[in-house]
Amino acid sequence: MSYAINRPRVKTAAWRISLWGTAAFAAGTIILFLFLHQFVAHEIQRRADSWLTGEVGTLGDVAEKTPQGVLYDRIVSEVAELATKEVPHGHEPAKDPNRSVFFLQTNSSGHLKLWVGEQNKNAVLQAVHAKNILPGHPVDIHIPDAFSDFRVASTRMNNGDVIYLGLSGREENRTLDTLRLYFFIICLGIVLLGFLIIFFTTKRMLGHVQRITDTAATIGHDDLRSRVPEVEGNDEVAQLAFTLNRMLDRVENTVRQLHTITDSLAHDLRSPITAVRGRLEAALLRTDEDGWAEPVASAIDELDRLCEFLTKSLDVAEAGADALRLQKEPVNLDELLQTMAHLYEPSMAERGLSLTLRSSSPVIVDADPSLIHRMMMNLFDNELKHLPPGCSVHIRLQSEDGHCNIFLEDNGPGFPDEVAAHIFEKYAKGSQSAGSGLGLAFVEAVVRAHNGSIEASNLPSRGIQIRIRLQRSSPASLASSPATSSHTGV
Amino acid sequence: MKLLVIEDDLANSKFLERALSENGYTIDLAHNAATAERLAMDGDYAAVILDLGLPDEDGLTLITRLKARGFSAPVLILSARRAVDDRVRGLEQGGDDYLVKPYALPELLARLRNLLRRNASPSDQSTVLRVLDLELNLLRREASRAGETLQLTTQEFALLEFLCRNSGRVVTRSMILQQVWGMRIQPDTNVVDVHIYRLRSKVERPDLPTMIRTIRGVGYVLRDK
Repeated sequence: MSYAINRPRVKTAAWRISLWGTAAFAAGTIILFLFLHQFVAHEIQRRADSWLTGEVGTLGDVAEKTPQGVLYDRIVSEVAELATKEVPHGHEPAKDPNRSVFFLQTNSSGHLKLWVGEQNKNAVLQAVHAKNILPGHPVDIHIPDAFSDFRVASTRMNNGDVIYLGLSGREENRTLDTLRLYFFIICLGIVLLGFLIIFFTTKRMLGHVQRITDTAATIGHDDLRSRVPEVEGNDEVAQLAFTLNRMLDRVENTVRQLHTITDSLAHDLRSPITAVRGRLEAALLRTDEDGWAEPVASAIDELDRLCEFLTKSLDVAEAGADALRLQKEPVNLDELLQTMAHLYEPSMAERGLSLTLRSSSPVIVDADPSLIHRMMMNLFDNELKHLPPGCSVHIRLQSEDGHCNIFLEDNGPGFPDEVAAHIFEKYAKGSQSAGSGLGLAFVEAVVRAHNGSIEASNLPSRGIQIRIRLQRSSPASLASSPATSSHTGV
Repeated sequence: MKLLVIEDDLANSKFLERALSENGYTIDLAHNAATAERLAMDGDYAAVILDLGLPDEDGLTLITRLKARGFSAPVLILSARRAVDDRVRGLEQGGDDYLVKPYALPELLARLRNLLRRNASPSDQSTVLRVLDLELNLLRREASRAGETLQLTTQEFALLEFLCRNSGRVVTRSMILQQVWGMRIQPDTNVVDVHIYRLRSKVERPDLPTMIRTIRGVGYVLRDK
């Protein structure tokens, strides 16, 4: 049986890891960009400021030296215009410098004296007055209707006039916009690429893990010899496979030791019993009809019972350690139950019990026939031993999607209260029971070894119900294994 | 007929030796794998009875090695475990057989006979079985005693057929279960006895001598003389 499930992609670890990895990567890149942006913006402003300060100084000098007169306005305007043409960010000259630079001269009382620029001079004047611009400390001012803020530097002339030179932040903004756009495109590409790389690397690696999981899931009680695929290299996945396989080695060893112990226990106990039984039998075959036959025969019966108890104990012990040995082949439960019913019907009738079997179509399970036979025999024996005359036993075989249920019901006295809660435990039996107390423990062990489930309960009215649920074999596994359930004749 | 018995338990091997020689076989005993191997390669044995739990080697390993070296006699494996190793089943498919301890002597003898016969000639193909005044027509699935038809169910017929085929020999309950119901199990209850009881009520008649005899603790025998 495999636990491999086709999970939706969003639930795979590869997807989650890629998502978190990419998010962390993107966040890191954004933080890096913010620093870079801050630095570039600061640098651009520093250059603009130094240009503005230098230029306003020059203009101040020119204005200072130009005599006040008719030509003053023209000379200063031209110098100012010339100056505005060599704006900073020299590598890409502004296309319309007149629009990006203004020159303003006010007299000591703050009235406009000279203006060079495309903007609304009154608005500029107002904005300049709103801020106290100290010489050598350029500031940003906002001018209504302008595309961007202006950086304005000032200088005070000896006659009290103040000269302002403003530089539009448009260029600076454009540079930063370009920077942001490039960053965005490149960053998006890198993040996407990173995501794909992380996703496919993780997926590939976790694919190994998935294969290990799938293989490990198929290693059950009956198949301890398989190992998970070991991958090349010495990374974590390779180590996981290696460690898992070494663990399986140890488990297999432990189970093998258990088998060795139970085998030698069985051998050491059964060999003397065999010898004793053989002698008793030989004695019995020789002693015809005289008084010795009866005790000898019952001694043989007792020995057989002892052996059956031993076998069951060892099997239940092995099953408890999930180490029951299975030799699986297709078993037709329908046929098996029919045979069982035929076998038990006379004995049941003898004891005044009635037996009905309801089963319609063949139900094939992949199981160990010998264990399944003994399991069913235990159930039937149990009914035969514990039901008072006049009761009836109903067996029902139902098959549903991928599973089948065997229901065994009777209308007898039910399980005694003292054992009802732990009916499948070893040596659990009612005070009136003459059995070994291993029957149902063995049944449960067999069902569990076949990855099935079993429930037993007292029916509300009267009697008991035992439900055994087993997995049906898939058509594929039927086709691959030959249906050999023939029995060799003597 | 010479047999090789490989069994480490002294009491068991002595018992086997005696029982088998009483039934007309010649026995060589080996108490460990090394002796067994030497004997097997030298002697000419009709069959081998092998206990799986040997002190010096696993019985199956020994038999696999012997077979690889060209040893061809059939092997009857004695195992202490009911859940037998799948390798044993492999051997069973190869013509060998196994028996779980403790076994009934008649069963051991029956299986041994079967192994030897399987090796020699195909089994009896006749369609009519006759034991004294009992007659079974295997084709028409009809049985009669002293000319009078018996009304038997399918299972009763199969049971009687098995007894007839082994007439004069003791058959055990587990042999019956395996042959008639196809189950290699040992029931806790008297299920087989009840079937025999029912069969008896149809076969036996007050005016005729008893045919089916019970040997308590062992099994049943169909009288053939």
